[in-house]
Amino acid sequence: MNIRPARVDDLMGMQACNLQNLPENYTMKYYLYHILTWPQLSYVAEDHKGRIVGYILAKMEEDVGEEDEAHGHVTSISVLRSYRRLGLAKKLMVQSQEAMATVYRAAYVSLHVRKSNRAALSLYRDTLGFTMKDVEKKYYADGEDAYAMRLSLKHLAR
Amino acid sequence: MPPLGMPAKRALPPKESSLFKELLNLYETRQLKKGLKTADQILKKFPEHGETLCMRGLILTHMGKREEGLELVKKGVRLDLTSHICWHVFGLIQKGEKNYEEALKSYTQALKFDKENLNILRDAAHLQTQLRIFDGLVETRHTLLKLRPALRQNWIGLVVAYHLNGNLKEARTVLENYEATLKNVPDYDVEHSETLLYHVRLLEELGEYEEAISFLDSNAKSRAIIDRIAIMEFRARILSKMYSEDAEHTWQALIEQNPDCYDYYRGFLSNRGVDLDAVTDDTRSKALECLREFSTQLPRANAPRRLALNVALGDEFKELAEPYLLSALRKGIPSLFADIKALYSDVGKRQIIEEIVEAERQRSEHPPDASSTEPSTYLWTLYFLAQHYSSLSQHARALSLLDTALMHTPTLPELYMFKARVLKRSGDPFNAARAMDEARLLDLQDRFLNTKCGKYRLRAGLVEEASEIFALFTKKDAASPGADLEDMQSLLFLTEEADAHLRNGNLGLALKRYLAIQKVFSDFEDDQFDFHGYSLRKFTINPYLGLIQWEDRLRSHRTYVHSAIIASQILVRLHDDPSLATASTATANLTDAEKKAKKKAKKAAQKVQEESKKAAGSTANEDKGLEPGPAKDDDPDGIKLLQAPEPLERAAKMLQPLRTLAADNIDAWIAIYDVSIRRKKYVQAVKALAAARALQPGHPELHVRLIHCKSTVSSLPEPLAAPAGPVVIATITKLVPDEQSLELFNSQYLQQHSGNARATLAASKASRQLQASLEEVENTLFTALNPDVELDIKTAVDVLALLKEIQSSRAEEFRAACDAKFELATIFRPANELPALRRIALEADLTSVDAEKQEVLS
Repeated sequence: MNIRPARVDDLMGMQACNLQNLPENYTMKYYLYHILTWPQLSYVAEDHKGRIVGYILAKMEEDVGEEDEAHGHVTSISVLRSYRRLGLAKKLMVQSQEAMATVYRAAYVSLHVRKSNRAALSLYRDTLGFTMKDVEKKYYADGEDAYAMRLSLKHLAR
Repeated sequence: MPPLGMPAKRALPPKESSLFKELLNLYETRQLKKGLKTADQILKKFPEHGETLCMRGLILTHMGKREEGLELVKKGVRLDLTSHICWHVFGLIQKGEKNYEEALKSYTQALKFDKENLNILRDAAHLQTQLRIFDGLVETRHTLLKLRPALRQNWIGLVVAYHLNGNLKEARTVLENYEATLKNVPDYDVEHSETLLYHVRLLEELGEYEEAISFLDSNAKSRAIIDRIAIMEFRARILSKMYSEDAEHTWQALIEQNPDCYDYYRGFLSNRGVDLDAVTDDTRSKALECLREFSTQLPRANAPRRLALNVALGDEFKELAEPYLLSALRKGIPSLFADIKALYSDVGKRQIIEEIVEAERQRSEHPPDASSTEPSTYLWTLYFLAQHYSSLSQHARALSLLDTALMHTPTLPELYMFKARVLKRSGDPFNAARAMDEARLLDLQDRFLNTKCGKYRLRAGLVEEASEIFALFTKKDAASPGADLEDMQSLLFLTEEADAHLRNGNLGLALKRYLAIQKVFSDFEDDQFDFHGYSLRKFTINPYLGLIQWEDRLRSHRTYVHSAIIASQILVRLHDDPSLATASTATANLTDAEKKAKKKAKKAAQKVQEESKKAAGSTANEDKGLEPGPAKDDDPDGIKLLQAPEPLERAAKMLQPLRTLAADNIDAWIAIYDVSIRRKKYVQAVKALAAARALQPGHPELHVRLIHCKSTVSSLPEPLAAPAGPVVIATITKLVPDEQSLELFNSQYLQQHSGNARATLAASKASRQLQASLEEVENTLFTALNPDVELDIKTAVDVLALLKEIQSSRAEEFRAACDAKFELATIFRPANELPALRRIALEADLTSVDAEKQEVLS
């Protein structure tokens, strides 16, 4: 599959992919907001017909506390079930992290995952190397808790 | 005395004058209730004061009293036609209603009376951009820059305005002037970096490659441009355009950075004179050599290996394909078939692939010793072969391979998913839905399987049952699962449900869903509005220009095109037979389950309505904005949509964008014809047919329209007047020769396309229009069953539908013949078997519920 930076005309494909895969969904405006604020951070995986089969939608954290460092945040990442086991999520994540580190000098990247989502948890922890930072109570609209996870990007600093 | 130049009726005594200033302040700080009181104080003494009336109307609108507010504003404007405040308020309200054209008119009026008002100018610029009035935009941006040259975004605003207006040279001049004004830009300034990247793009589009490269290089070196990937992409692309050998290093660096980006390999090879998308015998070995080298250098990258398969031929292909396929089968990569299917356009490659995988099946079925092969390899090999044979329409063979695989491993959702797909392709949507449900039950946490299951239920016509499945992942507080999916802009759901309603004969709900799709596209169009200002403040100019381009081509998206064509067909049917719109006809086809669901949905919708009312009551003080809230659904069955006047005008409007954005789509032109001819727009109608014929002369549906058009025009009571008349006649004569009778024209078409079932269907429709006897039409339709005619399931369904429509006594005979002909299909089973088939589709779920119950009980 072809991995490349996301463009505005990929957003409908990303939205469709997200709706098929994940319970957290967003309207187009939110995708537009990402790509028109941090155009370097989102990536897509597409098949030979140009269909989006995986994506990472990412941003920089805007409210950074005084003690905290600049860091990126993964709003959403997913790969269609029929395109799993190709390592696409990792490839997408690596590209986005590189951009977070070089363009915005992000010290780390954070994300949230549902407590009950074992598959995603194992992807982030075992495959992508994230560590558990915190539990955020009732983070999701339906009352479920989230694990806040993060991964250092210090090794990418230039 | 009023201040100089102020009309007497606007002037207020000092007390009221300061109250009015306070009113403006209160509005700015959104203290609406206080603002309202203040306005009332002024109006008590000066009930005809236009500006106060407008402000009062504006505040009311914010508080949710839209109609009352709008009335007041209109009254205020009438009372003081030369006040910029009145026109500004009117414009604000029109903008909130997304009535951009009218809003711009009001802003233009406001600017007449206050030429240098920054807020009004900025809003006007956004409206001009939204409406693509670029000449006006350049002017407005010019004024803004002149008034506030210290504001950086005003410079960029003018640059972008020139760019959008197609004047790249002027854009460049202004941009360079802007850059000259900058002092002390901090290091690592992303906004500045984005601006400079836009500068590079501008130079590239102007063809000034050398300048672009030196500008890029010096700013990259000084770290003014910090986006490494963008630097390399621009550099490699521009150097390639210059045929510079330096490009190679940069492409190489990009490949090392992201070894799975096809574009980078394409660029690298093009720089060596190889067009990867059109490899010739001269370039083949060079391309393969490069790709092999990359494969060795980058062992984890898939792209160079996969690209090599496109390029290689014969033995070399086999040598590369074997390790590619076997490694994926051993790793159990589900997408392997989807990945290599594009190679099947070359039959030789297809055969080689079949041989390799068949050999692997032999090997892995009987491994020499148990430790040498993973048992899962055998499984994935069977899975691959099932997909392979199904793509060659050998569905029975595919199913038997899947059965073997399922005996081996009954817990792999992919096997059931593909079984579902094969059954669907074979005309058995019921067992397909059941198989997809079985896949879903194996991994209840996976929304992908859930979505597929719902979709397959819709394909089987089980609308309500699909909704129950979707409900497992939609928001619990939504009025219905469908309402949540609509809010989240799921085009997949809306399209599938609309199509399902249409197949079920429920025109009202089908139309409602197609219009919901069109609403999503309108919302996407509106979404850009806020970014006309936002992107300038963020200096993200390149992606912003991408946004504008995307918006301009938005409705070329296949989902919009589909919705517009099908919805227009429904509207045409309503025009031809208005009785379809009566409630009894429209809901006659509802099943009991659907009726039950309707009641449930109605109740839920009511509840949501009440809750939102409560919520509104408690927050009445806050600013509700100027955009209308979600409207109450007072047409849950789409009956009002069916009954709305002027169906053809509505159809014409939704088809309008297709003329330019789907000009290569023959179905679009045919839909445009159907609407135009009924609106008596004869020139449009014949031009649509001419456009369709230029795309595909023998298209069956076009043939039906050619005959329809000629007979319609020649049977007009009076010949068409000039200038339209001669154009219409001349065009038709080119499409359908005059010297032939239409009957002869039709039978010749049938002869020319014998063996094509679609053409047979078309000729039958045409002869029906030409008043042929029922028997004759039936006889033609039955030739679709001849052994030398290629009849697919979809065409057979359409032939059967036409037989029923013309009330043929032989419809049942045709159905039975199809039932026998398509062995795996269930859609041709007798009508009385339908309830049983629907039950089958839902059985997997029911069984599992029973099993769960038993577990609980034991």
